[in-house]
Amino acid sequence: MAQTTLSQRNRLPARLHSLLSWGLFAGGIVILLMLSQKLIALDIFPENWNIGLRDVLNEFKRWVVVNRNSHWMFTFFFEPLSAVIDFTLRRIENFLLWLPWPVVIFAVFIFAERIRGLRLAFLMVACLLPMGMFGLWEESLQTLALMVTAVIFSLVLGIPLGIWSARNDMVEKILRPILDAMQTMPAFVYLIPVLLFFGVARVPSIIATVIYALPPAIRLTSLGLRSVSDEMIEAADAFGSTEKQVLRKVQLPLALPTIMVGVNQTIMMALSIVVIAALIGAGGLGEVVLKALRRLRVGSALEAGLAIVFMAVLLDRLSAALAQIERHSIQQFRGYRLFSEKQRGIKVIAWLERGISRVYAFGVTLSVQVEKYLAKTFGPGAGWLYNRADWIVISLFLLLATILLLLLGVQDFPAALHFDISRPVDAMVQWMQVNLYNIGDSGIGTGPLRDFLIIYVFKPLRTFLTDQVPWTVVAFVFVYAAFAASGWRLMLSVLALVLSIGLIGMWPFTMDTLGQTLVAGVICVGLGIPLGIWSSKSDRADQMIRPVLDFLQTIPIFVYLVPVIMLFGTGSVAGLIASVLYAAVPVIRLTNAGIRSVDVALKESAQAFGSTWLQTLLKIEIPLALPAIMLGINQTIMMVLAMVIIAGLVGATGLGLEVYQGFANDNLGRSVEAGLAIVLCAIVIDRITQQFARKASQAANIN
Amino acid sequence: MSTVQLRNIWKIFGPNPKYVYDTMDRAASRGEILSQTGHVVAVRDVSLEVARGEIFVVMGLSGSGKSTLVRCLSRLIEPTFGQVLINDVDVTAMNADDLRQLRRHTVSMVFQRFGLFPHRRVVDNVGYGLEVRGMELAERRLKAYEILQLVGLDGWEDRYPHELSGGMQQRVGLARALAVDPEIMLCDEPFSALDPLIRRDMQDELLNLQHELHKTILFITHDFHEAIKLGDRIAIMKDGAIVQVGTAQQIVAHPVDEYVREFTQDVPRTKVLTAETIMLSQEGKNALSGEAVLYNTTIEALIPRISATDALFPVVNAADEIIGVLDRHTVLMALAES
Ligand SMILES: Nc1ncnc2c1ncn2[C@@H]1O[C@H](COP(=O)(O)OP(=O)(O)O)[C@@H](O)[C@H]1O
Ligand SMILES: [Mg+2]
Repeated sequence: MAQTTLSQRNRLPARLHSLLSWGLFAGGIVILLMLSQKLIALDIFPENWNIGLRDVLNEFKRWVVVNRNSHWMFTFFFEPLSAVIDFTLRRIENFLLWLPWPVVIFAVFIFAERIRGLRLAFLMVACLLPMGMFGLWEESLQTLALMVTAVIFSLVLGIPLGIWSARNDMVEKILRPILDAMQTMPAFVYLIPVLLFFGVARVPSIIATVIYALPPAIRLTSLGLRSVSDEMIEAADAFGSTEKQVLRKVQLPLALPTIMVGVNQTIMMALSIVVIAALIGAGGLGEVVLKALRRLRVGSALEAGLAIVFMAVLLDRLSAALAQIERHSIQQFRGYRLFSEKQRGIKVIAWLERGISRVYAFGVTLSVQVEKYLAKTFGPGAGWLYNRADWIVISLFLLLATILLLLLGVQDFPAALHFDISRPVDAMVQWMQVNLYNIGDSGIGTGPLRDFLIIYVFKPLRTFLTDQVPWTVVAFVFVYAAFAASGWRLMLSVLALVLSIGLIGMWPFTMDTLGQTLVAGVICVGLGIPLGIWSSKSDRADQMIRPVLDFLQTIPIFVYLVPVIMLFGTGSVAGLIASVLYAAVPVIRLTNAGIRSVDVALKESAQAFGSTWLQTLLKIEIPLALPAIMLGINQTIMMVLAMVIIAGLVGATGLGLEVYQGFANDNLGRSVEAGLAIVLCAIVIDRITQQFARKASQAANIN
Repeated sequence: MSTVQLRNIWKIFGPNPKYVYDTMDRAASRGEILSQTGHVVAVRDVSLEVARGEIFVVMGLSGSGKSTLVRCLSRLIEPTFGQVLINDVDVTAMNADDLRQLRRHTVSMVFQRFGLFPHRRVVDNVGYGLEVRGMELAERRLKAYEILQLVGLDGWEDRYPHELSGGMQQRVGLARALAVDPEIMLCDEPFSALDPLIRRDMQDELLNLQHELHKTILFITHDFHEAIKLGDRIAIMKDGAIVQVGTAQQIVAHPVDEYVREFTQDVPRTKVLTAETIMLSQEGKNALSGEAVLYNTTIEALIPRISATDALFPVVNAADEIIGVLDRHTVLMALAES
C-alpha cells in the first residue's frame, strides 16, 4: 500500500519535482555566493575556528615521550606487547638470514612441489633468484620476516575473533561494521595512533600492518566456519562430540581452505603496505624503494619494486595453493610433467624429464621405505607419523643440507651472481627524459603534457576551489548531494563531516586534493566505462584487458610510481597518473560485469523491436548495469583517495604532501590532521556515492 | 522386553512450537495446522517400542517425518512433546553430559548421505566415535582396522572418503557406527543414495552383520521392498503419524488403509504371505487330509503342494501344535485380495 501511494506521488509531479529541486540547488548556490561577498567568514573558512587539534596532539606526543618509561599504560601494556613482537620478528629474521641461501630456495621449491607441483615450484625459484641477483637478498628476507611476523599476529588475533564471531551472531553484528570501516579507510590512518604509542621503528609498522591485514582473517574464518554443512556437524554430534571437539576436529579442518583464502588475502594486504610501513621504519625492500625514490634513483627503485612484485607473486601463489590443497592418500607422481607432449619430442626436454622422473622415483622410494620402516617400528598406531613419511624425508634432507652448507661457509647470496639492472634502467630513464620529454621540440611529449595538465587543469582548478569558490558553496554542494541521494540523516552527518574538515584547519589542502581527485576520477571514469563496455562486447578485448587489470591489482602500488616518475618527474601529474593506473580497475571490471549480466532475453526483445546496437546499449544495457557501474565508480573514487598519500610522496600537493611533510618535520599533529581530513573526505564521498548506487539499483529493479 | 520406547512423541517446527502444541486442534490435519499457524507438524503423537536385537523399520514417503523421528530418539532433534526411554532410562530428561555419554556408548547413527568427514582418512573416520570418547590413538586405530575388516574394507584404511565408491563410503559409515560397539543403531535411509545393485549387496551385508552382532536397529527407508527384506517389524508413517505397525506379512495381508495398500500393491504377495497369515480357524473342520504345513511357509512354497489337491492342510507352529487350517481355496482367495 505505502509503496503504491509513494510511487504515484512521485510519478505525477516528477517533472515539477526535479525542476523544484534544481531550482533549490541553484538558488542555494546563488544566495551563498551573494552572502559570501558580504561576509568573509562564508567565503574563506575562518582561521580562528580551528580547534587546534595539532597542538593537542603534539602536546600528547610530548607527554608520551616523557612518560614512556614510567606510565603503567606503557610499562604494562605497550612495552610488553612491543617486546613480544620484536622478539618474534628478530627470531624469524635471524633464522631466515642464518639459513644458507640455497636451503631457503630449495625449501620453498620442495614445499611448492609437494602442495601443488613442479610448475609452481619452478615459478617460486624464478621469483626468489632475482631477489638475490639484484643484491637484495637480505632486504627481501627482512621483508619476508616482517610479512611472516605480521601474518602470524594477524592470524593469532584474527582466527579466534573469527571463531568467536562465527559462533555468536551478536559478535558478528558488532564486528562487521568495524571491519568494513577498517577495510575502507586508508591504511595510513592506523599508522598515526600506532606511531603515537609505539614511536617510529619496526614494531609499530608491524602493528599497523596487522591492523590493516586483520579483516580478511576474521571474515574468512567466520565465513568458513559458518559454511561447514549442518550434515557434518550433525554427524559429529551424533557420536557425542563436545562443542570443543566439533570445533577442533570437524569445523576448523573443514573451514581450513576458506581460512587459507583469508590468510592469502591477509598476506596480500600486508604486502601492499610494505612501502608505506617503510615510511615509519619497517626497513627491508620498502626502505630501498623509498630511498631510491627520494634520490630519484629510478633503477634501484625498480629493482626493489620488482623484488616486491616477486615477493607478492611468491606469497600469493603459495598461499593460494595452500588454500586449494587436495587430500590424497597415496604419494603419486604428481605434476612432474613440466612440458607439453609436443615439446617432449625435443631431445633436451625428454632428457630433462627423464632426469626429473628419476629424482622423483628416488624420493618416492625413499619415502616408501621410511614409511614401511616407521610402520614396522611403531605399529599401526603411528599412522599419523608414517603417513607423512615424505615430509620427514624432506625435513631431514633440508637439515643435512643446512649443516653441510654452513660448514662450507655458504650463507648470503654470492656477489658473483649479482646481476645489476639499475644501471641500464637509469640510462634508459635518462634517454627518455631527454627524448620523450619534448620529442624533437615539437611540443609533444611527456613534459609538455605535464605542463599542460599543471597549467590548464590543476592550477586553475585549485585556484577555483580554494580562492574563487566560497567554502560554503562547496560544502553546500556536498550537503545537497547527500540530501538528494538519501535524505535528512545523511545530509546532517555529511554537514558535520564537512565542517570538521574545516575545523581542523585542512580546508584549503582538502580543496587541492579534492580537485586532483576529481580530475583523476573523471579520467578513470572516462577511460574506464568505454573500456568496460568494450570488454563486455568483445571476448577478445576482455581477454586482453583482464590480465592487465589483474596485474595492476596485484602488484604493490609503489611499483607504478617508478615508471611514472621516470616519464613525468615528481609532482601532481605523477600522482595523478599513478592514481589513474591504480584506481581505474574497478570501473572497468564492474562496467564489464554489469553489462554482461544483463538478461539476454531483455536484449533480444529490444533487438526484436528494431533497436540498433547503440540504442540497445544506451536504453537497455547501461541503465540496467548502472548499479554495478555506480559501485565501480564508488570503488574507484575510494581508491583514488587511498592513493592521495602516496601521490603526496611523489610530490603531489594537497593533503598527501601535508601528511608526508608532517612526518618529515616531526610534526605529528600536522600529519594527523591531514590524515584525518583524507578519512573524512573518503567517508563523505563514499556514503554519497553509495547512496546514489543504491538509488540506481532500485531504479533498475522497478523498471 | 524392549530397549527403545517412544511415548507420544511430537515434533513441531516453527518459531513457537510449544504454544502451537498447547493450543492447536488435535484433530486438524498437518496442512490445516500449517496454514493456520505456520508451523509444521513433522512428527505427530508417535508411540512405539523396539525390542532388543530387532530390526525395526520405519517406512513412509519423503516428508512423512521419518528423519525427524529417528533424530528425536537421540535428541539430535529435540522433541516438542513426549518421552524417549532407552533401557528404561528417560532420555528426554537427560542433561547434556549424560546425553553425550549415551551417544558415545549406546546409540550410533548411519546417515543417508554418509556424513563422512572428508578431511579424515577412512580409519580416522571409523575411529571418530572412539576418539571423542578419549581412546588412545593406537588402540582406536586397531579397533578401526578390525571393524573395517568386518565390513570388507581392509586395505582401504589410509584412503580419504572421496577416493572410495558410494557403496564403499557407506560401508565406512556403517563401520563408523559399529566401531563404538553401540547397543542401538539408527539408520536414516542408509542405502537410498546407492545404485540398486549395490543397495541389494548392502542389505545382505547388513543382514549378515546383524546375524553376528544382534544390534537393536531402527532402520528408516522409503522403499517398501527394503522394509520387508530387512524389517522384523515395520511401522508405516504418514504425515508424521504412524498408521500401521506389524510384520511384513501382517501389513501385506491386512493393510489398514489405502495409503498402506498402495505400498503393498507391487509386492509379490506369494513371497511375503505365509501360511500363518492366511490360515483359517480350525473350528468345524475335522477332515484334515493334507500333510502338516509349518506356520512360516510362504505361499510361493505352498503352491506346488496344494495346487493338485483339494485336501485341507493343518498349519502347525514350531511346537508342532495345530494353529489353523488352509486349502487351495484359502490360498487363492488370499492372492485374489490384493
Ligand atoms: N528444521 C526444520 N524446520 C522446518 N521444517 C522441517 C525441518 N526439518 C524437517 N521439516 C519438515 O518436517 C517434515 C518431515 O521432514 P523429515 O523428517 O525430513 O521427513 P522424511 O525424512 O520422512 O523425508 C517435512 O515436511 C519437512 O519439511
Ligand atoms: Mg529423510
